[in-house]
Amino acid sequence: MNKPTRVPHLFRRPEQLAPADVPMETAYQLEQFLYAEAELLDAWQFNDWLALMAPDVHYWAPVRENRLAREAEQEMYPPGTAAHFDENFKMLGQRVARLYTHMSWSESPASRTRHLISNVRAHVTDNPDEFRVQSSFHVYRTSSERHQDSVIGRRYDLLRRADNDYGFQIADRTVVFDMSMLLVKNLSSFY
Amino acid sequence: MDISEFIDPEKGLIRGEIFHNKEIYDQELEQVFARSWCFLAHDSMIPDSGDFIQNYIGEDPVLVVRQKDGSVKAFLNQCRHRGMRICRAERGNTSNFMCSFHGWNYGLDGEVIHIPHEKEIYDNLDPEVFRATQVRLANYKGFIFGTWDETVADFEEYMGDFAWYFDAYIDRFEGGMEVVGVHKWVLPANWKFNAEQPASDMYHGEVSHASAFQVMMPISEEDGAPPPWVMQQLGVLSEPAGFQFSAPNGHGTGWFKGGMPLMDETIMNWHQSTREEVSERLGEERFDLAGHANIFPNFMMLSNYTFRVTHPRGPDEMEIWAWSMAPKNASAEVKDAIRLDILRTFSPAGMFEQDDAVNWEEEQRIMRGHMARQKPLIYQQMIGQARYDADGLPGKTVDHVYAEEAARGMYQHYADLMSGKPWPELEKIKKAREQKERDEIAARASPAPKTAAGGGQ
Ligand code: FES
Ligand SMILES: [Fe+2]
Repeated sequence: MNKPTRVPHLFRRPEQLAPADVPMETAYQLEQFLYAEAELLDAWQFNDWLALMAPDVHYWAPVRENRLAREAEQEMYPPGTAAHFDENFKMLGQRVARLYTHMSWSESPASRTRHLISNVRAHVTDNPDEFRVQSSFHVYRTSSERHQDSVIGRRYDLLRRADNDYGFQIADRTVVFDMSMLLVKNLSSFY
Repeated sequence: MDISEFIDPEKGLIRGEIFHNKEIYDQELEQVFARSWCFLAHDSMIPDSGDFIQNYIGEDPVLVVRQKDGSVKAFLNQCRHRGMRICRAERGNTSNFMCSFHGWNYGLDGEVIHIPHEKEIYDNLDPEVFRATQVRLANYKGFIFGTWDETVADFEEYMGDFAWYFDAYIDRFEGGMEVVGVHKWVLPANWKFNAEQPASDMYHGEVSHASAFQVMMPISEEDGAPPPWVMQQLGVLSEPAGFQFSAPNGHGTGWFKGGMPLMDETIMNWHQSTREEVSERLGEERFDLAGHANIFPNFMMLSNYTFRVTHPRGPDEMEIWAWSMAPKNASAEVKDAIRLDILRTFSPAGMFEQDDAVNWEEEQRIMRGHMARQKPLIYQQMIGQARYDADGLPGKTVDHVYAEEAARGMYQHYADLMSGKPWPELEKIKKAREQKERDEIAARASPAPKTAAGGGQ
């Protein structure tokens, strides 16, 4: 784990920096999907949220570190190493189920969250039904009497057209938190 | 400040003041952290010459560096000139460290090797004075500990009987351990909560972590019922039996008879398959002898191969630096199962860890109250039940996994250090205390006449 394989830094991959190239209507649909997803999370409709995940979903959030400038490309741990989330559909299902046990004390009483989604940019892929969609998030949370915190970052999604109310499923999501040491007490939500 | 009025280990009473008071906190940095052995690194974190990681002893940043000759050195990550942080990365590889304030340059060993314009501006430079402050190091089976204190005993002696228990976490396998993951995060609570709990509190699991046990328990696809191996695991939890160990230097550990419950089938099968190998290495009796533990002050570990330091950050904040480790010679599949299991249970997003956070946060918040710090908190589980060298277990143990013997032991040692008495004197006090306790236990056990001093209840 000490020698991460040299992969281009997630933030600097050319295909992600390229101008958005989906038609305006598709862009609108993708954005609306992300807003709907956020609303389900803030409304504690986690089973409905889970239904937006494709059966083959991979939901992953790498750990980041302070590195020397010349080692900056390695500031994010590569796949298969240090991560905050590294989940398939079944694993996400366990996390959702936990929230409904009424004994998940970190969320019982429930915290109040607001998922703010912005800077949405989308690209076409070789598959006409799949789109690479990047979005930034700010998850504001208060819990208990006076705890409050914010988790901010960017997501790299593969969204797939699907026959459901919201038109898409999440086939792949990488969540990048804009923190090295996490300055929050836990990551008890979804991002 | 005399803190003895807040801690009564014999009665098992401890006042919340020690979690709240800023003066006590500052005293801890001096009397506890600067006088104890603290975990700094594992060999596998810095395999090659020039590899370094930064860690902390209390609030003091320390660079731990692999030298050209393969040895390890560590020094305070503070420039001798104006006190700037010498190296601002938490990990990496380098040939030297240049302070980015005025450019003093330090070698891998902390010696100053270049000072801009040195000839013109310094008369004669004494390397002793300019060298970065060195840490005294010990390497125990790949685990590197450091201390500033020249008077504290060597690390193995400092661990005492705990070394035998520590091996059940880290020395199960030929080839040792390696790091497979890392998490760092901040919690709004006193560091001692995350020292006391792994040393002593197995009791909270069935309530605090009820939700995680419930949803992570595998169920068979056919009838939705847990398979037999899971039922066996749950049996361990429903009739908890086990032991707790408490060391004179504040270390503690506890474990279930029959081992910690495992919820992952890959890990479970692998774990069982290692019984022979581990028994051959450590003895059959140590196969199941890992649960949770803390090496005082702040190095905690779990049998799932989580290893962490809990850094103090003021009376009401801690940083948790947690490494996931795996046996080096385990298969790639097993290592990955261990990595995933830890990140899904005991990381900031982990389904167990999230719920621990909320307990500590609320405890800390309430300690702000005046009344909340008046009545002592009750640490009396299994009080008066300690035995020495019983059931084949070295040192002081109690015959239940739900106990507070190790918490009492931890706070006794904490109070000893906080008294400011020098280590040689503390060692004498500890020896006398242990002898007295051994004598009392012997007197209770022997069928002496009723009038015998210290006789039973
Ligand atoms: S503070 Fe480091 S060179 Fe001046
Ligand atoms: Fe816990």
